Amino acid sequence: MNYILNQDKKKAPDSTWDTVRSLLSFLDNEKTILIYASLVTVLNSAVTLIAPLLIAYVIDTYIVTKEFSGVLTFGGVLLGLYVIGLITSYAQTRLMGGVGQRVLFKLRNKLFQKLQELPVAFFDANKTGDLISRINNDTDKLNQFFSQTLVRFFSSAVIMVGAAAFMLVLNIKLALSALLPAAFLVVFTQLVSPWIKRANAQSAQATGNLSAEISESLANFKVIVAFNQREFFTNNFAVANQTNYKKAITAGVANNTFSPVFQLASYAAQLAVLMYGVYLISSGELSIGLLIGFLVYVSNFYDPLRQLAGLWANLQVALASWDRIAVILRMKNAMPFLPTQSTENTLHKDTPVIAFKEVSFGYTENKPVLRDINLELYAGKTYALVGPTGGGKTTTALLIARLYDPTTGVILLNGRDVREYGNQERTQKISFILQEPILFSGTIRENLLYGNQTYENYSDAEFTQVVADHGLKSLLDRFEKGLNTKVDNSTSAISLGQKQLITFMRCILRKPDVLILDEATANIDTVTEQILETVLQQLPKTTTRVIIAHRLNTIEDADEIFFVDAGQIINAGSMEQALEMLAAGVRGS
Amino acid sequence: MTRKSDSRTIASRAAADKPAASIFRLLLQYKAMLVGLIVLGIIANGLTLVIPTIVADIIDQFKDGNFAIASSAVTFGLFVLGIFFFSYLQSVLQTYASERVARDIRGQLVDKIAQQNFSFVETYNPSKLLTNITSDIDSIKSFVAQAVVTLVSSIVIIFGASIILFTIDAKLAAAVLTIVPVIGISFFFIFRTVRTLFLQSREVIDTLNKTISESIIGAALIRTLNSVQTELKKFTVANQRSKDIGLGILNLFSILVPLIGFVSSVGTLIVVVLGGYFVITDAMTLGSFVAFNSYIGLLIFPIITIGFISSVIAQASASYERVYAVLSAADGAQEGRITAKLDGHIRISHVSVTYEDKKALDDVSFSIAPHTKTAIIGPTGAGKTQLLTVLTGLIIPEVGLVKYDDIELTQYASTSFFKQVGIVFQDSILFNTSIRENISFNNLTTDKDLQLAVETAELDEFIASLPQGLDTLVSERGSTLSGGQKQRLMLARALLLNPTILFLDDFTARVDAKTEKSILHNIAQNYPQLTLLSITQKIAPIEAYDQILLLMQGKLVASGTHSELLQTSPEYMQIYSSQRSTNSYELHT
Repeated sequence: MNYILNQDKKKAPDSTWDTVRSLLSFLDNEKTILIYASLVTVLNSAVTLIAPLLIAYVIDTYIVTKEFSGVLTFGGVLLGLYVIGLITSYAQTRLMGGVGQRVLFKLRNKLFQKLQELPVAFFDANKTGDLISRINNDTDKLNQFFSQTLVRFFSSAVIMVGAAAFMLVLNIKLALSALLPAAFLVVFTQLVSPWIKRANAQSAQATGNLSAEISESLANFKVIVAFNQREFFTNNFAVANQTNYKKAITAGVANNTFSPVFQLASYAAQLAVLMYGVYLISSGELSIGLLIGFLVYVSNFYDPLRQLAGLWANLQVALASWDRIAVILRMKNAMPFLPTQSTENTLHKDTPVIAFKEVSFGYTENKPVLRDINLELYAGKTYALVGPTGGGKTTTALLIARLYDPTTGVILLNGRDVREYGNQERTQKISFILQEPILFSGTIRENLLYGNQTYENYSDAEFTQVVADHGLKSLLDRFEKGLNTKVDNSTSAISLGQKQLITFMRCILRKPDVLILDEATANIDTVTEQILETVLQQLPKTTTRVIIAHRLNTIEDADEIFFVDAGQIINAGSMEQALEMLAAGVRGS
Repeated sequence: MTRKSDSRTIASRAAADKPAASIFRLLLQYKAMLVGLIVLGIIANGLTLVIPTIVADIIDQFKDGNFAIASSAVTFGLFVLGIFFFSYLQSVLQTYASERVARDIRGQLVDKIAQQNFSFVETYNPSKLLTNITSDIDSIKSFVAQAVVTLVSSIVIIFGASIILFTIDAKLAAAVLTIVPVIGISFFFIFRTVRTLFLQSREVIDTLNKTISESIIGAALIRTLNSVQTELKKFTVANQRSKDIGLGILNLFSILVPLIGFVSSVGTLIVVVLGGYFVITDAMTLGSFVAFNSYIGLLIFPIITIGFISSVIAQASASYERVYAVLSAADGAQEGRITAKLDGHIRISHVSVTYEDKKALDDVSFSIAPHTKTAIIGPTGAGKTQLLTVLTGLIIPEVGLVKYDDIELTQYASTSFFKQVGIVFQDSILFNTSIRENISFNNLTTDKDLQLAVETAELDEFIASLPQGLDTLVSERGSTLSGGQKQRLMLARALLLNPTILFLDDFTARVDAKTEKSILHNIAQNYPQLTLLSITQKIAPIEAYDQILLLMQGKLVASGTHSELLQTSPEYMQIYSSQRSTNSYELHT
């Protein structure tokens, strides 16, 4: 499965309308609101149109005839109209803005949820900063479109259609000459839109790259400082910044093409009407009064059309952003769940907890890390995976925890294909202490309970008791404020070893059937490690432990030792034999 | 973490002392461009005003019978082309100006960040800095693109229209202009409230950024703990808050914009009623009244326009305030000037570092002689890594001195210092670029030096096994490399500096014993002059070291050679015996 988002699209871009349709699906729940908003918009436009007529009427009827009471009466009517205008205008902004905010909320949540559904391989293929840019910036572009553009789109279209209808009724020939430039605009828009969308797509991607560049550098700032690479940082950023600048200008210029061209068309229409109208008057088909009236309708038609031009450009920006969002939403998780095959419980006493059947795996197509592996792990035993760095130990563990699926072959959990288990069931059975300990910003309590609902409602005292029952009290006591110590993954206030202690406790509290420790104690001192070992020994008799470690004391009590290297997993027999293999072993890829 | 909040208040206090970060001040740097923009805007709009008079002329000429169709069409056409040209030019310049401002501030921000200490990025936190460089700059960009020209031309028109109104009828003008202070006051109150909301909305974006990036860094963990729901909940809370703030802002503006429209309409109403009264009482001629009535539109339209762009202005000024806080932050601690070559003599005296009332380091003093090997051991959380950050100047201790060759570390120019000091951090920090760049960045290094560093770190076989060798791309966070490979890359990076002093932080934790042994041997052979300071867990490799420092709970509890410590330090003895059981194995290898 290819999870790379930033690919040059070979396929022809979707037409604007197809994309719009997929985008509008987010408005499904907003239909009622949209109808209200449209009604309010019509009402508001009506007020805007009626007021000047009313003023003209007042002048002609009352001011000229010096009848002040009439002026006052109609003054009151006008005030009433303005109040209606105030209310409708408020309602209009409020309703459509609300639509925009809700769509934004929905989109962001949906995107984030999608990210959570995708496997780890997706994150190997894409950059954090770019993903953040998609979730925050691109969705905001859509919000702007929905809250600001959509409603104006609607009201402009209504006015335009009305003006066109009036013109056609007044004089068909003249109306056609007036609408000819508009026909040209339709063709022009069709021709230019793909270019504009492409320019915006490239600009959005450049923004994503910029975000990726900066977020990586900020995350790695320690090395930038310590290796005198401030210049490397600023230079790399300057390149991304400059590229983004250029792409943004291209997109901006492209977006701004519409407005002047539409304006030009509007004048062309006026000129056409004027010239053709003059001709028609000379031939006696038209009166001057009608011509003047007609010119008013021409601008009534083209003014909103010019607004539409600006809105159309906004639409192209929104569509380019939508493409970046949609490509994530369309992503399929290539690690499907299989239906449960055997309904009856086939679990025998001698069924291995974990079994590899002819398993092969590689991160990239041509580079297998594991080849045709057969492996059986039994309940209650301790297994050690040893071997040179890069030999495939972590990969084996990742496969057991189903962070990746094998390229070929099957992995069985309690005799059933691991793909038949739901996430909940599988993760409850298998607990994996990863090589890189990860904490979330919050307290230690929050981190220990992370992904574990069992003790959620326990008071601190009760939970401390649970920690003590698992033999972890002395580890917790190492943190000054116990459960309420604040931690953050990215600060230097907490060391790798301390993080490992917390992740260790987190996994033990989950009471797993299979516990995988991948270099889980690598940065913990050997005295503390003895405490951890005691904790491991006190786990229930049925718990299977899989330990990956370079430090041999951590594995000397293993029931079985596997030597992992060059795509193979070999039963090493005794500790001594394992050591010999290690001594002789060539570092694999 | 106390440090964090301390420096944050310092930062905000400093910002409060400085002149207000006015976004308009920023524009002064782009005077020429803005003047050009405004001039172009005035020309384009001015030409637009001429068109109706041309049309009127054509009709008048036609009525009078002296109508020359060709010349009229040409005049019209020329003006239209003029408008097209100038408005297109204006839009291009507008795009250019806004993108330039954006690019420049981004560059300034990054330059500013690049000069800072490591602790600056920790304090300001990468997620917030990312928002500064992306979303905040976007707001400023929209301000330049949409608001500046509109604002300036609106204000000019308001003034012009006011003057015209006064010349027509001073009393009526005075009455109408009472709406201006009313509008001013509503702006003032709404802006005051909305500013806070905009600032909050940016802070929520910071939180969203943080949640997304934590969920990406922790992707594997989340999948092994099945904590997708937890993450989603966390994200939804922030997202919901973002929506609420967005709706709050919307609420204010959906009041402000119609209110301004309404107040302006009341202006029209005043003209109709009061003006009507004046006409009826013969205090004003009907002609003046009609003229007044047509010019009032000229006054009202720009006021409404300002209402529309006011949210852009408010958002941009909130964003600029955030950006300005970073730009005006104090520079990193006074950069020293000494660039002398280091001998490798290190002395630290009475160093203490405190986190949240807990002493991470407590009155630590020791010294290291040139060309010697020193090890630091101690339990997890003893402050070993903390000591390293102090020794390398990444953190300046509140109490105590760090001296190199009897000169305080802060006196050294950091560029010169870091050129001579190699650091291998505990956590693997890799960039999404080639292996070669990860080791050497863009430094000009000879292939020979690179080869030596790579061989010393025992990476040559691994690199040779890659089809693209040194040019193989490392994924972000190095997720495709094994833990040991990453650590060896980090070592090669440090060795390439040909450092006088090498700091290793638990670097062999993920490297197997055999490789570790070869690496240590290689270092001794290839870089014989090194002063080595190694933080480690394992005693066996450091038995022959010149000095071993035992750190516990932030205090230096013992120091000496291996044999001395065995005699004098029971704590050391305890660590030693915890490792003895496997020593026989280690010796084999």
